[in-house]
Amino acid sequence: MNAVTTQELLSNAWFGIIGLMLVFYVVTDGFDLGVGILTLFRRDESDRDVMIQSIGHVWDANETWLVALGGALFGAFPAAYSLLLTQLYVPVMLLIASLIMRGASIEFRHAAHRSKRVWDAVFGIGSLLTAICQGIVLGKVLTGLVPGVDSAAFIAITAIGVVSGYSLLGATWLIKKTTGAIEDASRRYATYAVFTTVIAAIVVSLGTVKITTVGVTRWDDVGVFHVLLALAVLAAAAFVYILYAIRMRGEHSPFIASMVLFVVSFAGLAISLFPYIVPGQLSIASAASDGTTLVFMLFGIGIVFPVMIGYNLFQYHLFRGKVVPIKH
Amino acid sequence: MSLEALHLARGQFAMTAIFHILWPILTISLSAFLLVVETLWVKTNEVVWYRHARFWSKLLLLNFAVGVVSGIPMEFQFGTNWGPFSNFTGQFFGNILGFEGAMAFMLEAGFVGIMMLGWGRVPKGVHLFATAMVALGSTLSAFWIMVANSWMQTPAGVAVENGKLVVTSYMKAIFNPDMIWGVTHMWFAALETGLVVVAGISAYYLFKRRNPEFFVRSFKVALLLLAFIAPVQIWLGDSSGVDVFETQPAKGAAIEGHWETNAPGTGASWSLLAWPDKAKQGNDWSLEVPGMLSVLGTHSLHGQVKGLKDIPVADQPPMLPLLYYAFRAMAGIGFLFMVLAFWTIYVFRKTRGNMQALLDQKKLFLAWVLAIPLPYIAVECGWIVREVGRQPWVVYGLLRTEHAASAISPTAISGSMLMFAAFYVVLITSFFVFARRWLKNGPDLTLTPPAEPAPRTTQQAIEY
Repeated sequence: MNAVTTQELLSNAWFGIIGLMLVFYVVTDGFDLGVGILTLFRRDESDRDVMIQSIGHVWDANETWLVALGGALFGAFPAAYSLLLTQLYVPVMLLIASLIMRGASIEFRHAAHRSKRVWDAVFGIGSLLTAICQGIVLGKVLTGLVPGVDSAAFIAITAIGVVSGYSLLGATWLIKKTTGAIEDASRRYATYAVFTTVIAAIVVSLGTVKITTVGVTRWDDVGVFHVLLALAVLAAAAFVYILYAIRMRGEHSPFIASMVLFVVSFAGLAISLFPYIVPGQLSIASAASDGTTLVFMLFGIGIVFPVMIGYNLFQYHLFRGKVVPIKH
Repeated sequence: MSLEALHLARGQFAMTAIFHILWPILTISLSAFLLVVETLWVKTNEVVWYRHARFWSKLLLLNFAVGVVSGIPMEFQFGTNWGPFSNFTGQFFGNILGFEGAMAFMLEAGFVGIMMLGWGRVPKGVHLFATAMVALGSTLSAFWIMVANSWMQTPAGVAVENGKLVVTSYMKAIFNPDMIWGVTHMWFAALETGLVVVAGISAYYLFKRRNPEFFVRSFKVALLLLAFIAPVQIWLGDSSGVDVFETQPAKGAAIEGHWETNAPGTGASWSLLAWPDKAKQGNDWSLEVPGMLSVLGTHSLHGQVKGLKDIPVADQPPMLPLLYYAFRAMAGIGFLFMVLAFWTIYVFRKTRGNMQALLDQKKLFLAWVLAIPLPYIAVECGWIVREVGRQPWVVYGLLRTEHAASAISPTAISGSMLMFAAFYVVLITSFFVFARRWLKNGPDLTLTPPAEPAPRTTQQAIEY
């Protein structure tokens, strides 16, 4: 193998690893952000106690995927890290601010007495803003950071899509982790959220064809459209199954099917972006670090990646089961 | 890019870093302290150690949350405000931050849930393991961050080809000249912080004679460790000082207000106190000890110490008085801890297990309570010396700070800076309110260790 293809192989491998980290981040922090958004709909403090308890042990590790992802992007694709964060200054700063709000409030609410309501509100709003900012970032990347009215409309839809998608994950997580009134309400929330998510996803897909360079160039490549079509069929099946599982009072299946819906959407996204990181602006090849760095990072992060997944799963396993309030 | 934007970006970084570092230093040391306490519990089976673990872990949890959330802007700020820096150094610096996230931060986050909420859900041994992983994770985090930062001080193992940085030797880049001193000096500073906080809070209860039997334990553990760590830290600080004079002569000269290189065969004189003036290229006034700087800076009588006058003004650090006095404050606090620790050990020996005689040492306890803010001040001063002293470079000798900032509008930077400043005020105020409540409530002396967990726990009960 000559040097050029090794470099290509390495940078594509890193595109894949970072994509995988992004999927982990979006699915795991997605459900706890979703739970945060849904706390805004519950008036009773005891309901919010149960909901927040269900994510109390994992939210921090979930959010850490974002930190790991940021570091990996910085090392493997410095040019993309620099371009994206500089261009997305305002949404990224607001995203960080929202993450600070919810991260601090989820711990402070336990220590608070009278101010608990305030911290709960901060937690809910912080979660919602986090999702909105991530939706804006997604929309901006897909539109290749090109400003304009079309882009703004598109970005509004991606923001709605991310908020609904996270709410879907959050609601189905709550179906899995709670009982009684909260579980019943979560089934309702999940039903609404799955519709808005799918509608937003369809509009985003149409918008991608109409206004972004991704739709114009990448989707015309040989084979790409067929793969995307297959993914769309899978997504449609997941959508139907989620509705069915909610109705049939499935406990775990709605959450699993929602994760499938997310993974499929992300696969579609990754295929659409490839071989670019920012469509039309920055390709994987031109953003990638030197081969030496990519190999060294592969050894460092590649080896700990399975370990990371391992102890994260252990944590989920340990705190399995429904959250049941016990009155003292 | 405008000068205003550069100053704002630097101000924002300074603010974020100054705020952030307050929290991880306590996380590192308090988790290590908890590991000691929990090990004592597992080994001796004395319930008092279990209660200590539960008591101090509440403080850790409050502190941990602020540490996590205030660390996020640190990482992303490199990209938002320092785009050209990120682009240039990502090959090594970004790589190391990636290691930190994956190897250290995730380890900490992956086990902190078990550490905080896992009592009674896991056997003793597994819980101890979780505590050990949190302590290890936070220490590893400090390790990688200091590797990255020390490389900015002494960037070895890289070459610049066509304006692009490439790593030529990872071994040399990671084990750069400043790395060993940077890592150890910072880690010991973190350890000192937690131990002084534990000693100070225990002393507060001892001073008030609240639960003295309980707090004399934590006080003693903290002091025994400090009596060893405080002198070692002074030695580490001295060694890293010698390293600075060798690798970054401009920083060395700046922190000592040293202007004239000493002639061969003579020793450089050391100013005990002075007011360095960059415009004048000299000290306004100074109190000098002849020959002393060669001894301090090179550990030899006539070692050459380069003066600032032999360094082009454009390469001299700014804000000389700040550097000069920040360095003195840090070093002074380091010595004070050693004196306090030795005084306390002397009191321990004198009172020899006589609780009443020990509790009469009110001045000693008061001194420790007053010492609580000092490690924080020392750490901030140390970082000011390290970072401002490296200026005008962001990567020493390779990249100037003025070439490293993103072209962002000053309005956007000042806007986000104000927003973060407001958040930080809320965070630190809330922390103090909750920490005060924790302090007032004191330890729960009725807590009993949970029974070993049932083999299949299918429900997650809420604990209030």
